[in-house]
Amino acid sequence: MTLLWMLLGLFALIAINVPIAVSLAVVAVVAMIATQGVDILPNVALVMFDGATNFPLLAIPLFIFAGAIMNTSGISRRLIAFASALFGFIKGGLAMVNVAASMFFAEMSGSAVADVAALGSILIPAMRRKGYPRGFAAAVTSSSATIAIIIPPSIPMILYAVMSDSSVVQLFVAGIVPGVLGGVIMMFVCYWFAVRYNYPVEEVFRLKRVWTTFKDASWAFLLPLIILGGIFGGLVTATEGAGLAVAASLFIGGVVYRELNWPHLRKAIIDGGISTAVVMLLVAASALVGNYLTELQVPQELAAAITSWTDNRYLVLALLNVFFLVVGLFLHSAAAIILVVPIVMPLVNAVGIDPVHFGIVVTLNLGIGQQTPPVASVLITACSVAKADIWEVSRINVYFVAVIVAVLMMVTYIPAIPMFLVRLFYG
Amino acid sequence: MANIRKGFERLLETIVILIMVTLTVIVLVAVIYRKAGASLSWYDEIASVLLAWLTYYGAALAALHREHIGFSGLVKALKPAVRIPFIVISEVCILGFFALLAWVGFQVLVVLKGDNLISLPQIPTRLTQSVIPIGAILFIIAEALGIPELLKKAARPDGFANIDIPGETEPKSDSAATEVPRP
Repeated sequence: MTLLWMLLGLFALIAINVPIAVSLAVVAVVAMIATQGVDILPNVALVMFDGATNFPLLAIPLFIFAGAIMNTSGISRRLIAFASALFGFIKGGLAMVNVAASMFFAEMSGSAVADVAALGSILIPAMRRKGYPRGFAAAVTSSSATIAIIIPPSIPMILYAVMSDSSVVQLFVAGIVPGVLGGVIMMFVCYWFAVRYNYPVEEVFRLKRVWTTFKDASWAFLLPLIILGGIFGGLVTATEGAGLAVAASLFIGGVVYRELNWPHLRKAIIDGGISTAVVMLLVAASALVGNYLTELQVPQELAAAITSWTDNRYLVLALLNVFFLVVGLFLHSAAAIILVVPIVMPLVNAVGIDPVHFGIVVTLNLGIGQQTPPVASVLITACSVAKADIWEVSRINVYFVAVIVAVLMMVTYIPAIPMFLVRLFYG
Repeated sequence: MANIRKGFERLLETIVILIMVTLTVIVLVAVIYRKAGASLSWYDEIASVLLAWLTYYGAALAALHREHIGFSGLVKALKPAVRIPFIVISEVCILGFFALLAWVGFQVLVVLKGDNLISLPQIPTRLTQSVIPIGAILFIIAEALGIPELLKKAARPDGFANIDIPGETEPKSDSAATEVPRP
């Protein structure tokens, strides 16, 4: 009964626009007072502090900071030039450049929204000048950024790893094949659109131009080597890799490209700090609710209730897919991971689903949520950059979201797709 | 009022910059020391404390910018006469929670007298935990500073524009390249 009141209270507070972090904390505090009295209150301060000291989450501010530096130091521009030299000769080439640049950028930044802000502000106007419809330009940018968060590093994966107590490095490895697969299929969809609506060729293929742009972007290509090579090679942890990403992007942006200036850097640090704080306050508040739900044995009871009905892992995965898709419609991906993952993990473990496999399923599900209104953080950012109507973009975006759904289905029911590389490297 | 808000914003921004830079430097120094075979014993504990500080000082700054994750669709769809009471209730919940957090945070500081960090015994735990009451008070100030503007906008039929939907507010494409929205 207490749980039902907590849920009702939570929905009511969220509905009247109380921030989700505060809503969580308020319902947890009220439930704690109702069941354990006011003497429990000092625990609120202790849990809210401990919840924010989760060491593995330290990678989040550092990856956000590194992404911000890359945005402001000309790295994005060079990646786009290289992708353009490589794919621009194909019909609808600029749309493919958009997808390819997203995939490159994803190897350095962990955030789909940062991806849209960085690449969209350059590519959407360029696509408009070439005659691509506004809605199409925004849809490609938006969906390719979402598929890119499956490619490591990925902030949602870091959050998932902490909430599910699984290996962040294995999650990163598991994301590579589905991410590349999704990107390639999206490029085919772009080509299909280009042929159907006669979109233009961006530039003639010239090997010399490929080489020039590659040379210009070569320092930027060092970044994924440093970040992912260090993490996958076991030389550094994910947190240390994120720290190295900051140092390397500062060096490349400031010393090599000389495009970094203090006002941009200052804004990048502040925006990164705010983004981190917003997510971390959610984490801290969820620790309050988590402690309470654990005492009530809610996750275990949920697992027992569902496994008494079925222990077929594919059926459970189908149920969880539908559940996460619905959650993703209304919750920001970070909030959804923090709120839901700890509750469903006992069920996931009980039916024998690999937590790393499930992590990719969750990330893809919430990626779809980033594209589906009313809460569609990535789509909204793309619309904002393109100055396009959200519904006009959504009508075209349906095709690209269908690609993400197709990848989700493949990842869900063919576990070898995400897990092949994990098993190869980690047995 | 505008000057107070600006000064308060500058203060929080400076704190956030200091913490972000210190965190980055500590992580990099720790990598170098670990690779040199002399791991820093205090690295994990201090970095975790700084993350908590970033959380609460950054949260106050996010409150000033109204950037905390929420679901505003329903309130925005209401007429001003119905919308304003909900906004008032929402603000009371936010301010009430952080007032409680500040109060219990100070109580905890009293209890922690004499405790020190494990890896750096010269640092009192009260210093690290002080972020809870101080952060809560800063959050209250940040939230309160935005209330008059929020109510003014909410009272206008077309004033409570949805910042999420392009065209309803000023375009922000100029700053898009340097923006780092939340993950």
